[in-house]
Amino acid sequence: MKRTDDTARADRASEPLAMRAANFLGEAIDAVDTLTRRYDDGPRASCAAGDGTRAPSRLVEKRAAKKRERHAKTKVAFLRYGYYDIGFEFFVKHVLDAEFVDLGESTKRTLELGAAASNDFVCAPFKHILGDYIEALEAGADVLVQFTGPCRLGYYGELQESILRDMGYEFEMLNFAEVAGKPLKDYIAVCKKKINPDLSVPQGVAGMLTAFKMIECLDAYNDRYLAVAGFDDEPGASREARERFFAAMRSCKTRRDVEDAFDRGVAELEAIARHKPADALRIGIVGEYFTAVDPRSNLDLERKLLSMGVELARMINVTNRNIHYNEPELRRSVSEYATYDMGPTSTLTIAAAKRYADEGFDGIVHVKSSGCTPEIDCMPVLQRISRDKHIPILFLSYDSQTSDTGLDTRIEAFYDMIAMRKASR
Amino acid sequence: MPSYRKEDAPYADIRAVGLPRALMYHRFAPAWTAFFEALGRRVVTSPHSNRALLERGEARSVDECCLASKLFMGHVESLIGACDAIFVPSLVDLGRLQGFCTKYQALPDLVRNTFAEERPRIVSCLVETASSKKGPENAFIGLALDFGATKSEAKHAVKEARKALEQAEHDAAERLESQLRRVEQRRKAGDGQALAILVLAHPYVAADPLIGASVVESLETLGATALLASDFDRKRALKKSEGFSSTMPWLINRELIGAALCLHDRIDGIVLVSAFPCGPDSMTNDMAARHISGKPLLSLTVDAQSGTAGLETRVESFVDILRYRKKGGYLR
Repeated sequence: MKRTDDTARADRASEPLAMRAANFLGEAIDAVDTLTRRYDDGPRASCAAGDGTRAPSRLVEKRAAKKRERHAKTKVAFLRYGYYDIGFEFFVKHVLDAEFVDLGESTKRTLELGAAASNDFVCAPFKHILGDYIEALEAGADVLVQFTGPCRLGYYGELQESILRDMGYEFEMLNFAEVAGKPLKDYIAVCKKKINPDLSVPQGVAGMLTAFKMIECLDAYNDRYLAVAGFDDEPGASREARERFFAAMRSCKTRRDVEDAFDRGVAELEAIARHKPADALRIGIVGEYFTAVDPRSNLDLERKLLSMGVELARMINVTNRNIHYNEPELRRSVSEYATYDMGPTSTLTIAAAKRYADEGFDGIVHVKSSGCTPEIDCMPVLQRISRDKHIPILFLSYDSQTSDTGLDTRIEAFYDMIAMRKASR
Repeated sequence: MPSYRKEDAPYADIRAVGLPRALMYHRFAPAWTAFFEALGRRVVTSPHSNRALLERGEARSVDECCLASKLFMGHVESLIGACDAIFVPSLVDLGRLQGFCTKYQALPDLVRNTFAEERPRIVSCLVETASSKKGPENAFIGLALDFGATKSEAKHAVKEARKALEQAEHDAAERLESQLRRVEQRRKAGDGQALAILVLAHPYVAADPLIGASVVESLETLGATALLASDFDRKRALKKSEGFSSTMPWLINRELIGAALCLHDRIDGIVLVSAFPCGPDSMTNDMAARHISGKPLLSLTVDAQSGTAGLETRVESFVDILRYRKKGGYLR
């Protein structure tokens, strides 16, 4: 009895952290949903007439645990997601105490691999991530990590594990969908089981807090970068500074290191010579959690826009969606448009669009993967905001294309339109 | 939970409640109808789907929306002016791993924003079980109070709704079982034409004349028995699905796959029917096709086609394959 009391007290004491950790782990990468566009004119019906009598079984078969080599660290791979691989690497090294598999830059081949092994109906992030996993396994990963979320993302992990096993790969999957909504100790238990049985909980918790800080710093830096990088006297100077900042972040070990690297990085970014015209165009980016944030998924939209000399803002990031997301509070600011939470990132999308409109931005770009149900459902709301507040919105829907010509045409036309609109006022 | 003096309840003045005959209507209609009738309201249901309704719905939807949701908008539009308020609940989940597609969560706001000019009156409630720890019936008790019911009237209405739904589910399961028995008797009697084909489709796909009903019809025309997986005992199906997948988030897809697993040994083939482009189905169809491998399987995706000839051809050739197979002359 006494024991139970102690445990209960210990649980209570750790609650705020537990909530933060669960929020981050369980929900990170949230908004990626949905389905859809045809990529070719192939048949929309398929038929299989297997002659086996294989009985239906589990989607992912249970397997005996692999014997552990005692002195080797487990090789852990995440998916590619913008600059957050810096945070993932820190998490693997300092929280899980394992080896991180660095995937490097994605290539055309990554997406081809992923798309070939996916159902063509599924949302684009699924294909990008599956491609990442195939490359990670080729690079020798033992464990793949997948997040979960309240849309199709919640099912990514299990289906990807099943596909990869059918392709013949041997690996373990740390799928946070399995423990979503459960207490922190279940998260720790699954990390111990799959990655490192000797995991130190106090060290892990400290590392976790540093990882959160690192993500907040990365996002805060990026916000600053998006606002100023379009006006460099010497084009590309900001981008080079950002690369140096990323390298500095990558070598951080403590929270102190992270804060110092951030301060130095921002100072260096601010010191670059710029010429910002008084009437510079301002564009807000809103949209889906994965595609709006991950440059290879949106064909480096931000870089394209910055090179046209505009100021950018993007509220959707891990800091705002996971670490500091207060959905009911945010929804109150858009109560004329939404009564309920409309989906994983819907409230953030709508609130951001409204804020950009109210702050006098010249245009909004809505970015999502093709068929993303929650973001599609935001579109009628955004169209209303556009009408009510007289702000142009460009809707971009991405699938597995690798050519950016179509995108260039659209954003150039959008730029010309908002520039002319501004000039005529 | 709010408790009002009768005249202050926000929905007290509503006499006729409109139900769009689309999406989750096809699952919850008995409950919703009984609920509003128990509150003394008149229920107005939109007409069966037709081409004109779909065209209106398409005109009011973002073109990337799924066919079923475009149809829903058409149904909503047809109810404007025909009732005092339209019932559109926000359905999030009925428990952990018993979620709905995010479309249902967004639906009331989607309708409000889509019809921002007409401003139809919307009656809604939030069904969210996993995070609120309150059962779905709680949401409906709250809704009844909003209609000016007393607490005991509210509880009564919810009880009526539950009874009606359970009865309807029971009847559907009975119907399915007797259909199956008839096929089995025919098989025993040596009837080579007897085929039991399980149609795996969301209830609003299988029942809608513009989406899945033509598939069911063509199967029946060819002399095969079309069994709707959505008719199967839902509790058993859900339970069965737990052994199959530990993370699949969607209730309906779980019930469908669970039904397929429970009935696997008693059927001759499976037909998957999805409305284009259904989010959950984009993943679960892949999973079903790769893992339910003991039975022939036909996967069909239906969009706003104007003819059914394409579907019929595919269904016919599938039935032919099954019959050849039975004779032992094909794919032995």
